[in-house]
Amino acid sequence: MSASKRLWLIIGPVIAAFVILVALLLSPINFASNSKSVERKAAVSLAPQVFKGRQIKKQALAGDYVPFFGSSELARMDPMHPSVLAERYDRNYRPFLLGSRGTQSLTQYYTMQTISTQMKHRKAVFIISPQWFVAQGTRKDAFSFYYSRLQTVDWLQQVQDTKMNRYAAKRLLMMPSGHSDHAIAAMLRKVAKGQALSNYNRLELSVRALILSHEDQLFSDYQLGHNVNKVEKAAKQLPDSQSYAALDKTATKLGKEHTTNNNLGIDNGFYNTRLKGHVADLKGEQKTFDYRKSPEYSDFQLVLSQFAKTHTDVLFVLPPINEKWAKYTGLDMNMVDQTNAKIKQQLTSQGFNNIDDLSHDGGQPYFMQDTIHLGWRGWLAMDKKVKPFLATKKGSTNYHINNNFYSNDWQQLAPTDQNLAQPKWNENK
Amino acid sequence: MINLEPYGNPQYFIYLLIGLIPLMIGLYRGHRWRWYQSLVSLVFIFLMFDGPKLEQGIALIGYVLWEWIMVGGYMAYRNRANNRWVFYAAVVLSALPLTFVKITPAVAAGHTSIFGFLGISYLTFRTVGMIMEMRDGIIKEFHPLLFLEFLLFMPTISSGPIDRYRRWLADYETVPDRDKYVGMIEKAVHYIFLGFFYKFVMAYFFGTMLVPRLSALTLHYGGDGLSWPLVGYMYSWSMYLFFDFAGYSLFAVAISYLMGIETPVNFNKPFLSPNLKEFWNRWHMSLSFWFRDFVFMRLVFAMMKTKLFKSRVTVSNIAYILNMLIMGFWHGVTWYYIAYGLLHGLGLVVNDWWLRFKKKHRKSIPHNKFTEAFAIFITFNFVCLSFLLFSGFLNTLWFVKP
Repeated sequence: MSASKRLWLIIGPVIAAFVILVALLLSPINFASNSKSVERKAAVSLAPQVFKGRQIKKQALAGDYVPFFGSSELARMDPMHPSVLAERYDRNYRPFLLGSRGTQSLTQYYTMQTISTQMKHRKAVFIISPQWFVAQGTRKDAFSFYYSRLQTVDWLQQVQDTKMNRYAAKRLLMMPSGHSDHAIAAMLRKVAKGQALSNYNRLELSVRALILSHEDQLFSDYQLGHNVNKVEKAAKQLPDSQSYAALDKTATKLGKEHTTNNNLGIDNGFYNTRLKGHVADLKGEQKTFDYRKSPEYSDFQLVLSQFAKTHTDVLFVLPPINEKWAKYTGLDMNMVDQTNAKIKQQLTSQGFNNIDDLSHDGGQPYFMQDTIHLGWRGWLAMDKKVKPFLATKKGSTNYHINNNFYSNDWQQLAPTDQNLAQPKWNENK
Repeated sequence: MINLEPYGNPQYFIYLLIGLIPLMIGLYRGHRWRWYQSLVSLVFIFLMFDGPKLEQGIALIGYVLWEWIMVGGYMAYRNRANNRWVFYAAVVLSALPLTFVKITPAVAAGHTSIFGFLGISYLTFRTVGMIMEMRDGIIKEFHPLLFLEFLLFMPTISSGPIDRYRRWLADYETVPDRDKYVGMIEKAVHYIFLGFFYKFVMAYFFGTMLVPRLSALTLHYGGDGLSWPLVGYMYSWSMYLFFDFAGYSLFAVAISYLMGIETPVNFNKPFLSPNLKEFWNRWHMSLSFWFRDFVFMRLVFAMMKTKLFKSRVTVSNIAYILNMLIMGFWHGVTWYYIAYGLLHGLGLVVNDWWLRFKKKHRKSIPHNKFTEAFAIFITFNFVCLSFLLFSGFLNTLWFVKP
C-alpha cells in the first residue's frame, strides 16, 4: 500500500467524523419533540441534565407543569410529596421539580434563564433552605456540578445592563465555572463592568447556542431514572379521599412506621445509612452554625429580581428544622429564627407576600423526614398552601425590587429586630 | 486576551492541528522546517502564558534565562575541569527556582512563589538531567539554541512526559522516513482519540461527577474514620488521577509524534501491575525512570563507593526510601505528599523483601492464575490507598474540615 493511500485511510475517518459532528451540531434542524412520557419522567427525575438543559423544561412548563424550585428536600418522595399528591388526585397541575442537593440561589437563577418565557405571568413554588445561607455562600464544586453553559449563553444573549445582571456576572466570575470557556469569561467581565457585548461576541454566542441546544436536544432525555416508579408506588399508598383529615391519618401512620430505629424522629433508612455509626460525634456539633451573614442573601436577590422580571407569582416555602435534631446537635434556634426573619424581610419589603412559613413546625410529629428535610406531615402542611395557590394558572404580582439587597451591607447585616426594621444602606452603587 | 490551556478542551486540538499542518506536510515530504516549528511552538506557548497568566509567562522567561546560564555555564566549566562541588552547586542552583516554588506555600500558607509557572517541575527535570549527563561526560557540548528548543518543546512543556536531551536531539536532527512518519501519524490519531476518551469521558465521570459528591458525603456524614463514601472517594479519585493524567500524556505524546518526535510514553496499564516495583515501571514512567537514573542509581553508587553499608540489600532499601521521599518532597512540602513518598519507599522495601523471599522458596510458594490476580488486587489497592493520601483529602477531612 502506498504511503499516501495509507495516510488517507488514517485521516479519512477522522475528517468524516469531524464533518458529521459539525453538520449535526451546527445544522438548523430541531431534534426535539419529547413525548408526554419523557416529560412525566423528567419532571420527577431530578436529573442534572434536565436541570441544566432547556428543551424538556420549556416543553413541559408550556403545558400543565409548574416549576417547584428547591434543593435536597425534593428528593424525599414519600406519599405526601407534592408530585405524588398531584399524580394521585389528578390535580390541574403537575410539579416540575428543579433542584437537588447543592442547588442554591445562584444556580437556580441561571436555570431560570432557559425558561423565562414559560415563567412569564405564571406561577411557581420556591422552597428556601436556611442551610444555604452559610458564611462562604454557595460551594464552588456544587455550583460547577449544576453549571450549564447553555443557560449562561441564553442569559448572555438577552443580557442588559442592570444591577441584577452585573451582580450575576460578578458572581459567576467568582466561580471556576465562569472561566471554563474563555470567550464566555471575557463576555462576563464586560457585563460585570456594564459594557455592551460586541457583534463578534454575539456571533460567538450564536455558534455556542446552536451547538449547546443541539447537545441538549439530543442527549437530555437520556437516562431519566426511576423516580416515576417511585412516585407511582407512593401514590398507591394514599387514601381515596384527599380530605386533610384522611391524608393526615395516613401521613401519621407512615411516619410512625418509618421512624422506629431512633428517637430523633428520623427516617430509618436515612438513620442507618447516614447517621448510625457516628451519631455520638454529632452531639453538639452544630453549636457554632450561623446562617445570618452570607453572600447567599444577594444571590437570593437575583432570584427575586428574576421573578420580578418575568412577573411570576411565587409561593415561597420556609421549611423547619427537625427540633429534636436541632436540640441534639446544639443548633442555635434563635439564630435560625433571625435567619428566617431576615429572609422574610427581604421578601415582604419587595412585595413577595406569598410565604408559607413552616419554620416553627419542626417539633410536630412526623413533620420532617429526617434532619432538615420535609416529610410526611410536613409535605402535607405545605400542600395546604400549594393546592389553593395553584388552583388557578395565572397570578398577579406587584413586586418592587430594591437593589440595596445586592450590597455587602445587607449580606453582612446582623438580623436583629431593630436592624431589620431599619436597615442602613451605606453602599449606593 | 485569548488564553489557551494546553489540551484543555477539544477545540484546542483544532487550533493545534491548524498550526501543525504545514510542519506535517514538510515532514511527510522529508523536510523539517525548524524555523516554522519554533514559530508555531512559540505562538502556542505564548497563548498558554498570556492574559491572566502573564505573571507566569514572565516567570517562565526569567527561568529560561537562569537555566540557560546554569546549564551553559556548567558545560563550559565541565569541558575544562570536573570538581564535584561545582557539579553539586550547578545541580542545586539549577533546581533553585523549583525549590522556591515548592517551599513558598509551605512556609507562607496561601501564597505561591513569584517564580512559579505551569510546568516548572518538568523543565527542571530536563535541565538537572542535562547537568548530570554533562558531569558523566555523555553530553559533550552545549548548543545555545538547541537547548532552548529542547527545554521548551511545546507538546510536553506543561506536564511532560520528561524526555532526555540526547534522545530528543537524535529525533530532532533527523526526519523520519515516509513510512515511519505515516505510522507515527496513525499512532498519534489513535492516542488522541484514546486520550479524548480518557480525559473527557472517564476523567470527567470520575473527577466531575463522582469525586465532588463523595467528598461532600464523606465530609458531612462519614465521620473522621473509615466510611463507605471515603472508600468510594479513594477509588474514584484514583481513577480520576489515572484517566486525567494518562489522557493528558497521550495528547502530549501524540502531538510530539505529529511533529516527528517520539516522546516516550508515560503509562502502560499501571493498574495491572502484579507488584509495586512493576507499578513504578508502568506509572508515570518518564518520571519514575528519571528518578531511577538520576536519584536512585546515583544514591546506590554513592553508598557503594563510600562503603557506608556492608549489605547490598541495606543500600538498596535506603536508596528506595530516600528516592521516594525526594519524590514526595518534589510533589510539595506537605505532610501528605511526604507521607505518600515514605509509604511508597517502605512499600518498595517490603516488595523487594518479598521478591527475594519468593525466589528462595520458589518450590513451596504456589504460582498460578489466582495468585497472579491476587497480586494485582493487592498492588492496586495499596496504590489506591496511597493515592488517597496523595489526594490531600485526608488533610481536608482531618484538619481543615469546612
